[in-house]
Amino acid sequence: MRITNNMLINNMMQSLSGNLMRTQKYFNQLASGKKISLPSDDPIVASKALKLRTDVSEIAQYKRNTDDATAWMDITEATMSQMTDLVHRMKEITNQAANGTNTDEDLLKIREEASELRSQLISLGNATYAGRYIFSGYKTDKPLLNDDGTYNIDVNNSEQIRFEIGIGDNININVPGSDLFNRTIVGASAGNKSEFVDTFDKVIAAMDSDDKSELSKLLGDLDDELGNLLRVRAGLGARMNRVELAAGRLEDDNVNFTKLMSKNEDVDIAEAIMKLQNEENVYRASLATGARVIQPSLVDFLK
Amino acid sequence: MNNTTFMGLEIAMRGLYSSQRAMANIAHNIDNVNTPGYSRQVVNQTSARPLLVANGAGMLGMGSDVVSVDRVRDIFLDEKYWSEAQYLGEWSVKATIIEDMQTIYNEPSDYGYTKIISDFYSSLQSLTTDPSSLSTRALVKEKGVAVAKYFNSVAVHFDHLQEDLNNMVNAKVEEINNIADQIRELNLQIYHFEVMGNKANDLRDHRGYLVDKLSRLVNCSAYEVETGLKLPNGEKETRFVVTISGKALVDHEKAVHLKCESRETKLNEEDIENLYEVSWADGNKLQLKSGELKAYIDMRDGNDGIIGSDGRASPNCKGIPYYQRKMNEFVRTFALSFNEGIIDTDGDGVLDNIEGHVDGFTLSGNTGIRFFAMLDEYGQPISSTEFEARALDYASKMGIADDPTTSWDERLVAGYQNITARNFSISFDIEENPSENIAASSNAGEAGNNENINKLLAMRHNTYMFMEGAPEDFIKTVISSMGVDGQQYNQYLDVQEGIVMQIDNRRHSISGVSLNEEMTNLVKHQQIYGAAAAMIQSYSEILDILVNRMGI
Repeated sequence: MRITNNMLINNMMQSLSGNLMRTQKYFNQLASGKKISLPSDDPIVASKALKLRTDVSEIAQYKRNTDDATAWMDITEATMSQMTDLVHRMKEITNQAANGTNTDEDLLKIREEASELRSQLISLGNATYAGRYIFSGYKTDKPLLNDDGTYNIDVNNSEQIRFEIGIGDNININVPGSDLFNRTIVGASAGNKSEFVDTFDKVIAAMDSDDKSELSKLLGDLDDELGNLLRVRAGLGARMNRVELAAGRLEDDNVNFTKLMSKNEDVDIAEAIMKLQNEENVYRASLATGARVIQPSLVDFLK
Repeated sequence: MNNTTFMGLEIAMRGLYSSQRAMANIAHNIDNVNTPGYSRQVVNQTSARPLLVANGAGMLGMGSDVVSVDRVRDIFLDEKYWSEAQYLGEWSVKATIIEDMQTIYNEPSDYGYTKIISDFYSSLQSLTTDPSSLSTRALVKEKGVAVAKYFNSVAVHFDHLQEDLNNMVNAKVEEINNIADQIRELNLQIYHFEVMGNKANDLRDHRGYLVDKLSRLVNCSAYEVETGLKLPNGEKETRFVVTISGKALVDHEKAVHLKCESRETKLNEEDIENLYEVSWADGNKLQLKSGELKAYIDMRDGNDGIIGSDGRASPNCKGIPYYQRKMNEFVRTFALSFNEGIIDTDGDGVLDNIEGHVDGFTLSGNTGIRFFAMLDEYGQPISSTEFEARALDYASKMGIADDPTTSWDERLVAGYQNITARNFSISFDIEENPSENIAASSNAGEAGNNENINKLLAMRHNTYMFMEGAPEDFIKTVISSMGVDGQQYNQYLDVQEGIVMQIDNRRHSISGVSLNEEMTNLVKHQQIYGAAAAMIQSYSEILDILVNRMGI
């Protein structure tokens, strides 16, 4: 084959620009830390990258949701724990009031404490988290109970605030006040008296009239209230457990998916540097040989 | 016939002339080493017509003669180049344009669609954990605006790109016309030179080079046809013809131009106004098979072969209108499901009506408010009620009128065609008062109720929302199909570059000037020149003897 000067030059330019293009590819990879800069560089990596980004950002949001859920549930749990203590104390003083060895002064003190416990119960029923009433069902902007122990609002047992803590996985994070403050009646309507508070009121009335047999009978009612309270707490506890598990799983998922994302799109620095180095060597070699090949011709030797 | 006195001198002189011609030719070749399209020329030298010696002692050689100067060219390679360069033109243009299109989506990155839609859903998630929070509501609005603006910006960039491509179509048509005119001009010059029996080597090279350029722009073939007539020197008369898909662009001394005319009706409904339709200036329809011009038109008009409103088919290529259509499809379906809750929930291909934003209740217990709407003529978001009025109006224009057989949903669904990626927006109600108008609740007067938001969020994972799946799957599919196309174009381009480079190298191998060769020839002819000069010297001495020393 006849080789002409322009063929040499064209071929040399072609291979040099090929070298440079590959060098640029590795340079871009190293500069951005990513394997690809456009979807067409590798459509499969690109499409996986999009999917994984969505997954990672979703997991992050679910994690924030579990944090919020945990905070809300912690407050609810703490409030109910106080209520439990409160009912225990009420039982103690009711017991005390029911046996006949109290002086009038003692009885007065007991009555005072009982009415103090009652107003504490109401104020616990109106507990808030970040300005929202936790037992008010969906009406988080309104307190659950009035001072006289009647409901301020309608609350339905189905008013469950649900947070998403996974794809298609949501959990109700609240305890509707109706479930807690009405033991036998389902739901609560505004103006009606709370059964829980009513039990307290009955105990106080019996203390007022010093009706010992009634007080003994009411001890049983207080036990029932305690039972109801513990039932609700157990339910919440189970849900808290689930949120905790979900949070742990999300933590793992977050690590795994971030790792996957990085594996999918991040460049292996060592490999890229090696390849860049290799390209640089090839580039230098082709420059050196190119310079030797295209320079001399017969002209240089005709003297 | 006997020897004449000066015959030797004459023969030597011919030697000088031949060498001179050859050396002039070498100079010409060297001068044109870098002239594009140039093919080396060779001097065609023969021994001159001999003299018959009268006494039968044979023929007497009369030196050398230059009969012609020919160019070294393989027409077969030219034809091969012309038939392959069109694909090189097409793929190099398409590969560049699809790169531009990919940058518009800006994916994969931390600022693209995925990020924006994730942020929007995250803000809604935050709202479910605190539906009464005014600051979270403001956040949801801002993220909603970001989603809408993303689509607006993608659509506007596609519009700009389409306009640029349209200008390129015009520029390429002018380039083709220009080349056609130059070829026509050269045809005339070459014909006039060659009618005398000469060979217009350099002009032919130039013409070949123009066809090289033309063959990248458009699928063309170029050939010489015999007219059946004879030239004065006895050669067959030929005419040079360049055709595009069989119709002559240049026929010897005639050139037919292409023309660009603004379309009166759009080819695709997604197109911008006044795109050029390219046709023959004589009114015939132009058929393009490949080349840069077709690449620009394909990417400008390509809507995956869909038949447009007036029955014309768009090019079978995923160009700008295709992606605009996909974006429109996205915003329409997305807004329809988010606003109205009209969405296929069970994959039976029939739209169901579940709760959407419109079915939820705002903080103060209002209902019937749409989250997304569109921009009006002045670029302002319209209100939910105004949007509904326009949608129903649009539906009745489309022939889906208010009569007992068509359901409300059906009319509304048709009305959502009003939304495009260009005018997609949040509604004025949300824009004006997000803290009040975002409908998080499923009941009036329940500040902590997040049921409606939860329902809206569930749509994120509804894989029946689009044929391609859930909202994020849809965009992922669009972007990766663009990526696959881009990858394919680049591969075609690589292959085609290899083919064309190979053909061009072979052309260079045959027609290119080699300095070594020319130098060798130069030395060869220089020595012959010297030898011929020495012959003249000898004859001069002989004549000196004859004239001055024969002493009369």
